[in-house]
Amino acid sequence: MRRPRLLLLVLVLAACVLIVLDTGAGPDSPFAGARRAADTVLGPAQRAAAGAVGALEGTGDGDSAELGRLQAENARLTGELLRSEAAARRAAELDRLLGVPSAYTTVPARVAGVGAALGFSSTVTIDVGSRDGVRPGQTVLNGSGLVGRTLRVGPFTSTVLLLTDPGFTVGARLAREGTLGLATGAGRTLTYELVEGGRVQPGDAVLTTGSDTFVPDVPIGRVASVDVGSALVTTAEVVPLADVTSLDLLAVVIEPVRSNPRDPLPPPPP
Amino acid sequence: MLGAVVLVGALLTQWAALSRLPLPGSPPDLLLVLVVAFALVAGPAPGTLGGFVTGLLVDLGADHQLGRTALTYTLVGYLAGRVQYGPRRSILRSLLVVAATAAVGVSASALVGLLLGDPRIDLPAYRQSMLSTVPYCVLLTPLVVPVVGFVARRGDLDPLRR
Repeated sequence: MRRPRLLLLVLVLAACVLIVLDTGAGPDSPFAGARRAADTVLGPAQRAAAGAVGALEGTGDGDSAELGRLQAENARLTGELLRSEAAARRAAELDRLLGVPSAYTTVPARVAGVGAALGFSSTVTIDVGSRDGVRPGQTVLNGSGLVGRTLRVGPFTSTVLLLTDPGFTVGARLAREGTLGLATGAGRTLTYELVEGGRVQPGDAVLTTGSDTFVPDVPIGRVASVDVGSALVTTAEVVPLADVTSLDLLAVVIEPVRSNPRDPLPPPPP
Repeated sequence: MLGAVVLVGALLTQWAALSRLPLPGSPPDLLLVLVVAFALVAGPAPGTLGGFVTGLLVDLGADHQLGRTALTYTLVGYLAGRVQYGPRRSILRSLLVVAATAAVGVSASALVGLLLGDPRIDLPAYRQSMLSTVPYCVLLTPLVVPVVGFVARRGDLDPLRR
């Protein structure tokens, strides 16, 4: 310990080795055990700390409480409006197809912490984990719309990758037209890329399409601007409905979409 | 022991409160200030080691590769430790050291992320981080340095000291 420069060199090398060992390993990472241990030990403390902070926030004056209530109400109504837009489209399709919108099983969750990585992170920690039925890759939403998907799941807490993170991609469709595309996080907004040609205009609502663990028809956001300049693909900027900077109450959809969600069509009458 | 309590307390404060504050830009980094304050009191070698341990703890709770924050904080701890001033404290000097090392820390973190191909790191993100995290860290300094000084005066810097 007399030679700090040597120590610096050794520790920097050690950190580099850790990074290399942990890169691209995913759930098979040699440090998965250590992470789970840290989640198990720190998770309950984190939940308690978040509760204390939440209690402090609750003691604000009447105006801010009223403001919060109205914001929540507004977010809920906006989400309802979008869902009804999608419902109108779906109703037209129902005339031709037999189908029912699925109902999902969710667990309520509170944000217990926000990822801290010198400002370059777009994750939050929530206070539910594998003991509550949460698995990696599940849909996370709030009253206004999609929030993200679960990334790492500990026994008591889970990490949620927010939809604005550049690593986040989800199948998406326009509520009115049904045009398919992909929505990818882009910092504060998302970039919506049309798979095939199709019309998209500012104000259009964007919903998820769903996959094996992801549920369909969750409102993502509204198109803010369309970029048709780049010849081959039409892209649009989508502002998420959920305000990712002030997340609090969330819901995790813990029941995956069934592989065959609907009964086969009845045979045509003879 | 007291040192470990301070470390875990700071970690929880960072996760539960600081990162959620509705401040413009990136959140403040309490742990970085803690590492700098500790290194200023304890010197380069304990500072380097303390930075590594603290960074590793942060990494365990983060969504990126283990070791990224550890690498950054190790560097920060070493640099801050080089300007060690022992028991004689000057708040202006610690403010300057925090500002300089936080800038180095943000840059190193961005550089490592860039080398690893992290899609979240680009010039606007880096600029935002430099313009918000660094000043926030400086603002935190007057709150953190007395606490670390108190723990140091108790002569109880375990487990970081050795």
